[in-house]
Amino acid sequence: MSNEGAAGDVASLSTLGTRPPFYRDATVVKWLSQVVGLILVLLGLFFLASQAQNNLEARDIATGYDFLGTALGSDLGSGIDTDPDTSGRALWVGMVNTIRLAIAGIALATILGVLVGVGRLSRNWIVSRTSSVFVETLRNIPLLVQIILIFVVIASLPRVETDQGPIHGWLHISNTGVSIPRVTIGDGFYQWIIFVIVGAALGWRVMRRQERRHDLTGQQTYPWLSLTGVVAVFAAVGWFAHPVLGWVGAIFDAIASGVDALTPGIVQLVISLIAVGAAAQWIRRFLASHRTPAGLTRLIDDDYFRIIFAGVAAVLVILFVTLGWPGLSSWVINSGRDLFEVIADKFGDGRTGAPIAAYRPDIEQLGNFPNYGPAGLNLIQALAAVYFGVVLYTAAFIAEVVRGGILAVPKGQSEAAQALGLRRTTMLRRVILPQAFRVILPPLGNQYLNLTKNTSLAIAIGYSDVVQVGQTVYNQTGKTLEVVSIWMLFYLACSLTISVVVNFFNVRMRIVER
Amino acid sequence: MDDGDGVGAPVIGDKPAIERVATRPAEETHRSSAEWIRKNLFPNPFNSFLTVAFGIFVLVSARGLLNFVFSEERGWDAVRTNLRLIFTHAYPEEQYVRVWVCVGVVVALACLSLGLFASEGEGLRLRKISNALNATAVAIALGVVLREPSVLIGADGETVRDADGVVRQSFAEAMADRWAWWLAAAVLAVVALAVRRVPKRSDGSPAAVPTLDFAIGAMALPVLSTWVYPWGHYAFADGEFIAEPGRTVAMSTKVPWTVMWVLAVASLIVGRWVRAQVDERALSRLRAVVAFTWLVVPFVLYWVVLRDPDLDWDRIFTVDAPLALAFGIGGGAVLWWLTADGRGELGRIGAIALLGFAAFHWVAAFMGWYPMLQKVRISFLLLAVMALLAHNFSGEAAKRRRLVLAWLVITTVFHYFATVMNTPSTVETPTEALIGGFAVTLVVAVFTLMLSFPLGVVLALARTSRLPIFRVMSTAYIEVVRGVPLITILIFFVVILPLFLPANMEISLFASATLGYTLFSAAYLAENVRGGLQSIRRGQYEASDAVGLSTVQRTVFIVLPQSLRASIPPLVGQVIATFKETSLLAIIGVFDILRMANSVIPAQTQFLGIKREGLLFVSLVYWVFSYMLSKQSQRLERRLGVGER
Repeated sequence: MSNEGAAGDVASLSTLGTRPPFYRDATVVKWLSQVVGLILVLLGLFFLASQAQNNLEARDIATGYDFLGTALGSDLGSGIDTDPDTSGRALWVGMVNTIRLAIAGIALATILGVLVGVGRLSRNWIVSRTSSVFVETLRNIPLLVQIILIFVVIASLPRVETDQGPIHGWLHISNTGVSIPRVTIGDGFYQWIIFVIVGAALGWRVMRRQERRHDLTGQQTYPWLSLTGVVAVFAAVGWFAHPVLGWVGAIFDAIASGVDALTPGIVQLVISLIAVGAAAQWIRRFLASHRTPAGLTRLIDDDYFRIIFAGVAAVLVILFVTLGWPGLSSWVINSGRDLFEVIADKFGDGRTGAPIAAYRPDIEQLGNFPNYGPAGLNLIQALAAVYFGVVLYTAAFIAEVVRGGILAVPKGQSEAAQALGLRRTTMLRRVILPQAFRVILPPLGNQYLNLTKNTSLAIAIGYSDVVQVGQTVYNQTGKTLEVVSIWMLFYLACSLTISVVVNFFNVRMRIVER
Repeated sequence: MDDGDGVGAPVIGDKPAIERVATRPAEETHRSSAEWIRKNLFPNPFNSFLTVAFGIFVLVSARGLLNFVFSEERGWDAVRTNLRLIFTHAYPEEQYVRVWVCVGVVVALACLSLGLFASEGEGLRLRKISNALNATAVAIALGVVLREPSVLIGADGETVRDADGVVRQSFAEAMADRWAWWLAAAVLAVVALAVRRVPKRSDGSPAAVPTLDFAIGAMALPVLSTWVYPWGHYAFADGEFIAEPGRTVAMSTKVPWTVMWVLAVASLIVGRWVRAQVDERALSRLRAVVAFTWLVVPFVLYWVVLRDPDLDWDRIFTVDAPLALAFGIGGGAVLWWLTADGRGELGRIGAIALLGFAAFHWVAAFMGWYPMLQKVRISFLLLAVMALLAHNFSGEAAKRRRLVLAWLVITTVFHYFATVMNTPSTVETPTEALIGGFAVTLVVAVFTLMLSFPLGVVLALARTSRLPIFRVMSTAYIEVVRGVPLITILIFFVVILPLFLPANMEISLFASATLGYTLFSAAYLAENVRGGLQSIRRGQYEASDAVGLSTVQRTVFIVLPQSLRASIPPLVGQVIATFKETSLLAIIGVFDILRMANSVIPAQTQFLGIKREGLLFVSLVYWVFSYMLSKQSQRLERRLGVGER
């Protein structure tokens, strides 16, 4: 603001009080250029859209998302449903595959990355050199090359033996992939998990009490041990007592019928109210941040723009809900009802079995070839390749992040800890890592995002993640644009979720300053 | 794909270097090897256990790798025979000299720049070289012992087998059989000893050689080795390797590489000589010229040298040249008039009128009112942009001349390339693309970076600007692009972009892929540049306001130079990331180096199904390039002292 205004002032001084022409007024230039820029961008988009419209009409392709309800002509390689009825269901299976891959990948990559990162700083020469070689090798080779290389290497492994039946081991590797024991949720899992949750809540309170007692008296009170103990007791009792919670399903049934009773109008109203409320809240907080003891500070045009923009966003949401996609509200109602019915179904009198079941891998004849049976947790060739590919690659980056974070802790901290006589492990656990964690967290979240996005490379080796399934769908239906939009929304939602979670921890970890 | 390179780098690069510098002298003075081993490998029981466990792990892995690489069953011939395919795909044999010209120009320019720019550091200490040689010798000896004995090959050329499987040599036989490796290890050890014996310099500092000289000198070894050893044959002809009778690399490969080496040495010497001759002022001008050459060279090499346009001289003399001349002279005159003294408001109105005039042609094209050459429309637009900038150059004759000169250069370059790009090529390749293999990887990476850098800077400026609509648009663009995987964007550009184009317009796979990479990379670059922009202190803005700079002047002369310097480390990280991301070209159907190894070579009848060797080679190529880049970026970071201020 200030400088253009100042420049204008100087100009007006030199020309003895005559105002500059209107097209050189700073505010006019500023807003005119923006409006012109916006119009140009909109025109460009309009041009592209009209071209696409023409081309699609010329090729006789209709746009729209109807294809989600039509049948898909082919099976999927793996997932919760390998023979989906519709394209929409197929895409959902792909999304679930991507999400599972991402979550499992994040877990393993974090563990491996932290170990390697700490190992790189080890005083043990061979440990630190091995870790360095791990990092420098993996992060300098493109992930795609690594994934394909792992895929090819797995293909060159020995075949599955012909004899069938359980494999007497925990791990089986062959050219089909990797098979490990499967731990799966059993009959009474959801009833049992209520016990565990109650135990965790209670244990948390016990832990806080023990911690307080430790702080007050200095006695060793084992807070973590007490938490574990309480949870273990509840889990053990619940393991046998869980059938008593069979009635919980009725509650969810009631919620489901409650959701079903809603009308689309109410849902639209609720969403609109939320949008308006959010905008109002934002504006209120914005104004509050501009309020000084002397009253509201002078708002510049940029501030007004923000306020107007918040209002426009709320209006856009309302327009989208009511006019843009009126079916949204009934979709929300239907899927909400289905969700609660599914949950209600997880409880009941018939559910008396063990909450968790475990199976060991086996081999069965599938057509002419022996293959892994459904008992074990089978990472088929493509899944194993993309999983270990993204895990190793991301672990190398996480290792660098962790190393950087630890090095960022001032040396005085570890010296002080040594002076207090802490052991090296205690020092690492209680002094170095908590401080390093603050530095590590934001780039770590970045790496999680990268891992999630990198799972899309599965397309190169044919694992049915959302991109690969999407490709199958648009090859069959020709709806490229729609499929790409679904991809983008899905990945944006994933990115947003990860950012929100990381930010939550980031805010909690931040040093409270004054 | 991974901006982590950039995010982590600044913290990671610096710290250990500082610590190492600080602790080295004290350690080196009293360190016997027994003491070193006890301190670094067996300080306490837990670490002793770790040492043993990791030692076994390392030895087993090394043995596995050696057994794999040197196994008699490995199809390394698949890689050796297809080297040309891997690096340039099907660029025609008879025009291959064009590829060598490109390599030569890049090598010469690189060494010339090194001669002109590179500062002489303390050099590489001979002691360090000796240590490295010793380590290599030990590694070779260890490898020779570790690798399992070779299988026996019978008189019929087949592997000898008995009831238990393949028959192998005895251990002693294997060791004797590998005499060449023992010899190499021994020679290295002797050389290392000799190097260590070189006395200290007269001033007492340890003996050292300049790093650059050493590196270029070391390059001579692989180049010379092509004259005695058949590293790679570059083609099959009627089932025969094209190679020298003496079983070395073919003449058409070893001669060019030798020439390249000589060229490198010569241009380094020339660069240094010139640097010694000229004064500071001339040197900085010379450097600017070299930097500008770097910007133009990729385009010249690709469109002029590699593509060899089949120029239609009639058309050039009747249409293209007159057009360029008209724009050069006419535009120059307009700019001269605009910058004259006392032009004032009239100049601004004229510039805006020119912009409207230029924009009108685009609207006309949009509506299809009248035909016009595309390059005329672009020329008008360029002129309008120059006219808008003109008031910054008004006043003195020297400044005005500079603006007109810049316009002449821009017109010439633009019209030249527009003509060349619109001319059909004489080079006939079986695929749509001009070149493939590793070359296409490099070409896409270079064009992506050159195009996405300005875009990224603009996006970053928009995101940090005080113009809210631009800020919202830029933020939305950056966040959306950063939130989705690269492959979806590439598929978007390759599959859907043709839908968005007018019916008479076509876009090649290469162009649409480069466009996708550019728009993707620009979002990440923008975030890196934004980091630099935020590091500029408020005082810099206030000071430039105080001396009366306009917004454009402040941005170009004050803000950008400082912020770009601050964001060099993450920018280099982004360069590495982009280079690695080019491997995704294989997915969208470009015949790049990965596709060669994964699909093309395994489909050849001689090498059916041989994938692992090719993929390992591709990994090695990528690794060497990325590793060198990341090491250079760490050096650059230390030299610039970013993060220490």
